[in-house]
Amino acid sequence: MLAAALPLARPATATTAVVLNSDDDSLSVIDSDSYKEISRTHIGRGPHHLIQTPDGRTLIIAMSGSNELVMIDRATGVEKQRVTASDPYQIGFSPDGKYFVAASIRLDRIDIYDGSTFQLLHRLPAATMPSHIAFSHDSKTVFVTLQGTSGLISIDLASGRVNWTAPVGRQPAGIITRSNGNLLVGIMGSDHITEVDPANGGVIRKIQTGNGAHNFLPSADGKTLYVTNRVAGTISVLNADTLAVAGTLQAPGGPDDMALSPDGHELWVTGRWHAWVDVIELASGALKTSVPVGRSPHGIFVY
Amino acid sequence: MFDAVERMIEQVQGTIFETAIQPALFHLGLMDWSEDVFDGVEFALYGALAVVLAYILCRPLELWRPVERRDEAWGDRRAVRTDIIYTLVHRLGVVPAILFLVLAPIGVAIDSYSRFAGYIPPELEQLWHPLFNHPLATFLAYMVVLDFGEYWRHRLQHRLAWWWALHSLHHDQRQMTLWSDDRNHILDDMLALAWSGTLAMLIGVPPGEYPLMLIGFRLIESLSHTNVRLGFGRVGSLILVGPHYHRVHHAIEHATAPFDRARGCNFAIIFPVWDVIFRTWRPYAGYPQTGVAALGGTAVRCGYLRHQWEGFRRLAAALVHFVDRRRPGFVAAFRAE
Repeated sequence: MLAAALPLARPATATTAVVLNSDDDSLSVIDSDSYKEISRTHIGRGPHHLIQTPDGRTLIIAMSGSNELVMIDRATGVEKQRVTASDPYQIGFSPDGKYFVAASIRLDRIDIYDGSTFQLLHRLPAATMPSHIAFSHDSKTVFVTLQGTSGLISIDLASGRVNWTAPVGRQPAGIITRSNGNLLVGIMGSDHITEVDPANGGVIRKIQTGNGAHNFLPSADGKTLYVTNRVAGTISVLNADTLAVAGTLQAPGGPDDMALSPDGHELWVTGRWHAWVDVIELASGALKTSVPVGRSPHGIFVY
Repeated sequence: MFDAVERMIEQVQGTIFETAIQPALFHLGLMDWSEDVFDGVEFALYGALAVVLAYILCRPLELWRPVERRDEAWGDRRAVRTDIIYTLVHRLGVVPAILFLVLAPIGVAIDSYSRFAGYIPPELEQLWHPLFNHPLATFLAYMVVLDFGEYWRHRLQHRLAWWWALHSLHHDQRQMTLWSDDRNHILDDMLALAWSGTLAMLIGVPPGEYPLMLIGFRLIESLSHTNVRLGFGRVGSLILVGPHYHRVHHAIEHATAPFDRARGCNFAIIFPVWDVIFRTWRPYAGYPQTGVAALGGTAVRCGYLRHQWEGFRRLAAALVHFVDRRRPGFVAAFRAE
């Protein structure tokens, strides 16, 4: 258990960023107004990604090293519960909240849990390096990229059966479901993202973004899509409807996960290789500041 | 200060990785290795720092009160130069490569299989909750357990004939200095890493902390091999292994029974308490000459590659003897040369 509550109970007007430092097992809390790290807390082993529960009340932190999910009350910062889970790396809820899926990148497996009780429903071997997760809009299917084998796997959530596995490009990483149901996959071993048919895994088209295309973040209004390019050290700004590249933002240091400030004016991005978080002002595209955090910052949540 | 040093290393690591290594991985189609290699760069940097620290800490000691003055006792420094090459090659290249490119994937595969079978390794802080919010205490607790494993590995290095054939390369050194710790055959290093890595996995050492623990071990081992008249006193010698304590382990002859080669004495790497518990502690007052009397120092003055070849020959002789007892063991074979 954490010795004390995380400093998440802050004034209603204050904005806060929570960053997971995967290589030193800590969690940084940043005051998003002053851009200062106000605490760094040992949280457990190998924290990589975090999401909030469907009701928005709880942050779930996936601890890949210590095999657990840490539940933090978002309002108070108090740890509510730790749930044993084997090597959870990327995690996600199906849109209807019925299923909770954890991908184990080190151990080549995908676990499907009940979204309410976290009881394990299905455990599937997935060769190799299952990484990022996306769901179909109807909550019937989960798609997981397989970084080690250049593939994408589609799994029926109810039965736990594999629908198909298909090659999509070298070292696929981030994945997101478009409004039309098609999938977009970041091809980290190349310089583009691919649009994939969710019915059979067929590649529909490729859109060049930058070397090491890695992860996605849609804007709040759904009109813009941000793509981190880890090798290029940039973020591509795409029109979400046409997928045309509208601009490129500079984000050196191995840009990885992203989050938008509540007002939508700033893009926060973790820099894996330099232990910092970049804050980019979207109106000008300029780097506003870099906030030092712990080693290998990965997941980020801003509210 | 430590934060500043750590921050500086982070930035150097990030810059090296981002500007030189990541582009190479990208063009070679190896981006799925990026996080492992990133950690490997950190390990090599800390390894370099440990070498610098060892030199800053131990070299003045050797100049201050050497057990053996180099010009008088040794004649030339060829054997020491080989040890320096060992230190640089192994700490900055060979060991990180073995650790991150060979042993880590094997460890992940074993871990994967065991977890899939439902076995999740326990962790010390889960077994003993007070550790949870004290990372430094946790780090030290893991060091104690790993050191216990290292003690028994060291015992086996002396006890098993084939392992002694490899480890004898380390003991053959008659010019022991701060550089001598890394004077090990590459197979011996691989066995050592596999041994401690397996134990680390079984007790749940955080993968990110394991390299730092190895570096902590190496720093103390550099000190314990230093050519200096320095002991830690009656009490201190039971707390931490130092130059005098370890020199007795390296004594050219253990004249007092039962401290012969097979049984030996003062095997501890960091904490002497293991020698006390398992009755291998030898409170010897003098500073003996180092080496292996039976081998006559055959491999002392050669270079790195020949030294490695020597290790393979010794191992082969030991294995041949193991299969056919009529053939001489490696000690007998090499004494005859």
